[in-house]
Amino acid sequence: MKIFSIKTIGLLVSGLTLTMAAVSQTAFKLPAYEKYQLPNGLTVYLMEQHEVPLISFSAILPAGAINDADKHGLASLTAAGLQYGTRSYTKAQIEEQLDYIGADLNTRATKEFTAISAKFATKDIDKALPIIGEVMSAPTFPATEFEKEKTRTLALLEQDKQSPRRVIGSYWDHFIYGDQAYGNSISGSPASVGKLTAADLKAFYQANYAPEGSAIAIAGDFDTKLMKLKLGRMFSTWKKSGIAQKASAPVAVAAPTEARVLLVNKEDARETTFYIGGLGIQRNNPDFVAIDVVNTLFGGRFTSMLNDELRVNSGLTYGASSRFAPLKNSGTFYITTFTANKTTAPTLEKAVEVLNKLHKDGIDEQSLASAKNYVKGQFPPGYETSGQLAGLLTQMFWYGFNESFINNFQANVDKLDLAGAKAIIAKYYPKDKLQFVMIGKAAEVKPIAQKYGKVTEKQIKEDGF
Amino acid sequence: MKKLLLAGLLALSTSVWAQTKPEDVKTFTLANGMKFLVLEDGSIPNANMYLFYKVGSRNEHPGITGLSHFFEHMMFNGSKKFGPKLFDRTMEFNGGSNNAYTTQNVTVYTDWFPASAMETIFDLEADRIASLSIDPKMVQSERGVVSSEKSTGLENSPWEQLSELISATAFTEHSYHWPVVGYQTDIDNWTKEDLERYFKTYYAPNNCVVVVSGNVKLADVKRLADKYMAPIPAQTPPPPVHLKEPEQVGERRVMLKKQLPAPNLLMGYHVPEAKNDDYYALSILSDVLSSGNSSRLYTSLVDQKQIATMVSSDYSESFDPTLFMIYGSVAKTAKEADVEKAIDTEIEKIKKDGVTPRELQKIKNQKLVELYKQLETINGKANSLGTYEVYFGDYKKMFDAPAAFNKVTVADIQRVANKYFTKNNRTIGVAKTELD
Repeated sequence: MKIFSIKTIGLLVSGLTLTMAAVSQTAFKLPAYEKYQLPNGLTVYLMEQHEVPLISFSAILPAGAINDADKHGLASLTAAGLQYGTRSYTKAQIEEQLDYIGADLNTRATKEFTAISAKFATKDIDKALPIIGEVMSAPTFPATEFEKEKTRTLALLEQDKQSPRRVIGSYWDHFIYGDQAYGNSISGSPASVGKLTAADLKAFYQANYAPEGSAIAIAGDFDTKLMKLKLGRMFSTWKKSGIAQKASAPVAVAAPTEARVLLVNKEDARETTFYIGGLGIQRNNPDFVAIDVVNTLFGGRFTSMLNDELRVNSGLTYGASSRFAPLKNSGTFYITTFTANKTTAPTLEKAVEVLNKLHKDGIDEQSLASAKNYVKGQFPPGYETSGQLAGLLTQMFWYGFNESFINNFQANVDKLDLAGAKAIIAKYYPKDKLQFVMIGKAAEVKPIAQKYGKVTEKQIKEDGF
Repeated sequence: MKKLLLAGLLALSTSVWAQTKPEDVKTFTLANGMKFLVLEDGSIPNANMYLFYKVGSRNEHPGITGLSHFFEHMMFNGSKKFGPKLFDRTMEFNGGSNNAYTTQNVTVYTDWFPASAMETIFDLEADRIASLSIDPKMVQSERGVVSSEKSTGLENSPWEQLSELISATAFTEHSYHWPVVGYQTDIDNWTKEDLERYFKTYYAPNNCVVVVSGNVKLADVKRLADKYMAPIPAQTPPPPVHLKEPEQVGERRVMLKKQLPAPNLLMGYHVPEAKNDDYYALSILSDVLSSGNSSRLYTSLVDQKQIATMVSSDYSESFDPTLFMIYGSVAKTAKEADVEKAIDTEIEKIKKDGVTPRELQKIKNQKLVELYKQLETINGKANSLGTYEVYFGDYKKMFDAPAAFNKVTVADIQRVANKYFTKNNRTIGVAKTELD
């Protein structure tokens, strides 16, 4: 029933957004796949995997929260709305037919793109694919269904504010990126979502869901030749949009010029939840793999410097970790932890101390060897299932990397030496002008916050982030 | 809340099992009673080891509530050969990672590693079972960690307090009464002697099932088990939990004052344990009620009536009779009484008219795909095999589950609905900001 997990609570995951880790002893190669384009410009990746009779579908479309303009939450609701009815299927039909065959279908927006994923049994391919195809290419966004979703979303947005862990990321992004597109929250707020209409969804779909800027990947138990025929038919009515591919890149974000603290007051908080950090890296950073190794040591695993000091040595928290959150054109870095109201001061102090120690003392040969072994050893399970592989292929499309990321991973990990690690620390880990977001009981923790920078205070009950 | 395994599957042609067949799972038991299940699978160069100890919060008593979970933490804090911090450091240096979880019934330790590191993993696991150190300083520091874990759960989950309250109310005598994490006062006060006694009783090889799957050879697993685990002496088997919850003879209601944008409703019905014949029908019934947007409760409460923003149900494996839970988040425009009434209406419909054959088939189809997903990974395989072995008494039941689910009829669903979903058998809880 209730499960208490000693170590992983979502915070203690290693490093970067993509599942990172490296090749084990046997070099791990990406299985063969085929890549081609449909006449409408949609990029297709196909990878046969016959281990279990399942097929995984993944799609990526250039329609993220960064495209919301001032209608925050629009990309997210549009992605959800794809399932509210299509040219040939009502919402109830989509749900009943997919549930009947035990198929999953997820449609969601992220900061930069919309991701669709589905999984179904091989024998149901002709039941599942036509629905998925229409969800992508012919959604109708009926107003009745949208209004119901809007009401549910408004309730969820309020519920989210009860859980600091669920909203701290949105506060952080807005605090670091400010009012430019990467600062948009994916979920939106009650005020912004409240104003949206089904017509907004239709307009957003038309402006952003273009086959020529998108990709699908299918991995699993199928025959490539037959699959190509099916896909040709499935997307034959989805026309090239002609939308000028806008650069989805917001301008580069300026580094912070002073230490700042955003204190979000939650009156009934029993603990303080933190992010501490600053700007990070872009996904295409050439040092991506090396950064992952170093971050594994600093805050990406159980024995990391952060968790060792804050949890193991001092019992101040259940977990402390650090993470680079890379995007296509920007990124942040943060340390994250939480602690009881009364231990907020020592926890904050120690977290900053561990970061200072990383800069001052660096890392040693033994730790570096350990981190390298660890990322390599934990790598293969990240690409074990057809769903993971399909997801990887669409990520390759979006971020513009290729299979050398997988195939050269071991070599890239191996070649990192102490001098290289030292350079990584100096270049990518913030040293001063640190940025802090704290969600907690302001009456108790404000004096502590003031020691770390200029404090801006918000109420968690206020609209937005 | 986390489902531990596929609840089961349906009977199909043998082709379903093309990848993993009952005879692929090899077993052996050491003289000290430690049982091993081994599944060779070379699909990735990795392997895992899952150790299922048959101890959870049901084995505790007031004064030491939460001790099972606390032990799960202490198992990482040093033993004879691998002192403080060395368990994790050694494992990570060798490319492995680990985790562990505690439930009312079991404590499970999970190691994931490159197959070439298997001997190190055996060495680490054996050392902590054979000779764990219980250092008072470590105990003190770990109390802080567990308190933070308890507190962060309460801070971030709107359901945690309410579900603790439901269990505390529905179980008056059985040890499912207290939360797995324990009472704060017990966390603060248990003694070194409590820990030593607990360790000796429950962390015995004869109280453990070990599953190894991945790119390993049976002969190697056997050799390492003989070398590292066989020398650990067996202990007197732990005393059975003799507590039995008396039949509930009247509906119970509890209220919780909690800051929430809208009320949460939770219902718990007493239902039997995993080994009971009604398990499969109840598991299907849970999915009929809440699996997917075409399920009964979602369709009625969330989509049509729009009186709830979320509904779900949960029926998990257990050693002793447990609770079938139904959760509902009340919509702003509705009252918790509306949600309760609507759930009752849907249950009554099933009691009176049963479910449709297509609905039943739908759930059986879903169970099958769930199985496929479990079999996609070496971890899914290890977890499922261990769970069937521990909760159902035999890992082979995993392979029998398709037939067991397929045997369930429309009439069975109706029968169990009538048998267990009675007013006197339930506890209802509401959490809201302002109590009337």
